[in-house]
Amino acid sequence: MASARKLAHDPRPRSPHVQVYRPQLTSVLSFGHRLAGIGLSLGSIALAVWLIAAASGAQAYARVMDLVGSPVGTALMFVWTYALFFHLCNGIRHLFWDRAQGFELRTIYASGWAVVAASVVLTLLAWGWALV
Amino acid sequence: MLIKSSNQLPRHTLLKRFPVPRRFKTPPASRIEPGKTWPAPPKATRTKTLRVYRYEPESGRNPRIDTFEIDLDDCGPMLLDALIKIKNEIDPTLTFRRSCREGVCGSCAMNIDGTNWLACIRTLAETESPTLIYPLNNLPVVKDLVPDQTHLWAQYEAVEPWLKTDTPAPSRERLQTQEDRAELDGYYECIMCFCCTSGCPSHWWNSDRFLGPAVLLQAYRWLADSRDEATGERLDALEDPFRLYRCHTILNCTRTCPKGLNPGKAIAETKRLMLERRS
Repeated sequence: MASARKLAHDPRPRSPHVQVYRPQLTSVLSFGHRLAGIGLSLGSIALAVWLIAAASGAQAYARVMDLVGSPVGTALMFVWTYALFFHLCNGIRHLFWDRAQGFELRTIYASGWAVVAASVVLTLLAWGWALV
Repeated sequence: MLIKSSNQLPRHTLLKRFPVPRRFKTPPASRIEPGKTWPAPPKATRTKTLRVYRYEPESGRNPRIDTFEIDLDDCGPMLLDALIKIKNEIDPTLTFRRSCREGVCGSCAMNIDGTNWLACIRTLAETESPTLIYPLNNLPVVKDLVPDQTHLWAQYEAVEPWLKTDTPAPSRERLQTQEDRAELDGYYECIMCFCCTSGCPSHWWNSDRFLGPAVLLQAYRWLADSRDEATGERLDALEDPFRLYRCHTILNCTRTCPKGLNPGKAIAETKRLMLERRS
C-alpha cells in the first residue's frame, strides 16, 4: 500500500492526445464548425460596422466599401461566405443528429462529404451571382 | 474518402496530425524526448520500423520515443506479435497490457498510427512504416504503453452499471421479450477498452467532468434495458451540462470503436430520452 500511495503522488506524464491523434473527417468538421462559428461572430461585427456606415452617410459608406473591395477585404468576405455556408450545411447535419438519425458510420461520412461539397458549391454560386 | 466501417484504415489523409505545436497543452514532465534505436539483425531482409512511446517511472526522466527495427520473416502477423517479440528478444523492459490476443478483452488498446485500436487485431501489414505507437490518449502513464485508467473506471462506476429495480425479486430470472432484448444489441458488446473515450476531443478538454463515450454507451445500455426500473433516476444523474452534454457529436468514438459499436448513437438516444420526458 505504501508504495502504491507513493506512486499515486508521483507526477506521471500524460499521454499525448491532440498532438498525435490523426485528423479525421469527424473531428476536422467538428473543429471547423466551431471555428466557422467564431469567425461568423466576428463577421457579424463587420456587418454591424457596414450597417452603421450606411446609416451615417455616403462618405462613411464609401470608406467602408473601399475596405471591403480591397484585396484583404475581398479575401475576408470570401472566407466569411464559406464559413456561413459551411456552418449552415453542417448545422442541418446537426439537426438530424438531434433527432438521433444518421449515425451509421457510412452516413456520418456521406453527410460530412455532402456538407463539404454543398458549402463549396454554394459559396461559388453566391460569388458567381455577386460578380455577374 | 467514404468510411463504411470502423476497421477501415484512412487511405488518404492530408495531415497525419493536427497542425499544433508538439508541446501544445503539454506539461514539462509529459514532453517527449528522442530515445534509443535498436537496429534489425544484420541478416534480416524484410524489416519493419516501430516507433514506440517509452516511459520509465524509476528513471526520473521524461518519456521518449524508441525505434525498433523488426525482422518480419521472424515475427507473427499482428502488431501485438511484434510487441511481444520486442519484449522477448530485444528489450524485456517494454511494458504493455495484453491478454486474449483476439480482440475480446480490450487490454491491448493503444494509439496506432494516430488512431486508437487493439494491437492484437491490427496486422503489421496494415500499419504504416514507420509505425507510430503511443499509449491511449490523455491518461497518466504508469509505464510505457500502460496508462492509468483509474479515472475512467471511476466514471464508469458513477453511472451505476447494474440492474436497479423497485419491484420485489421474482422467484426466477427477470424475463424480457426477444424484441426488448434486441434493444441491447450494439450496446452490451462493449469491451471497455476505452479506445473511444481516449480518442474523444471533448474528453481531452473536460475529462474531469464529461463522462466520455464509453461510459455514456454503458449508461444507455441500462437506460435501454426493459428490466431496469431506474430510468428516471439515471436520466436525472446525467442531466448536467458536462456529464452528458459535453458531447458535441464529433463522432471520433464511432469512427474508432474496434468492436464496430456506435457510442455516438447511444449518446444521441440518451439526449432524445431527455427531451421526450420533458415534453
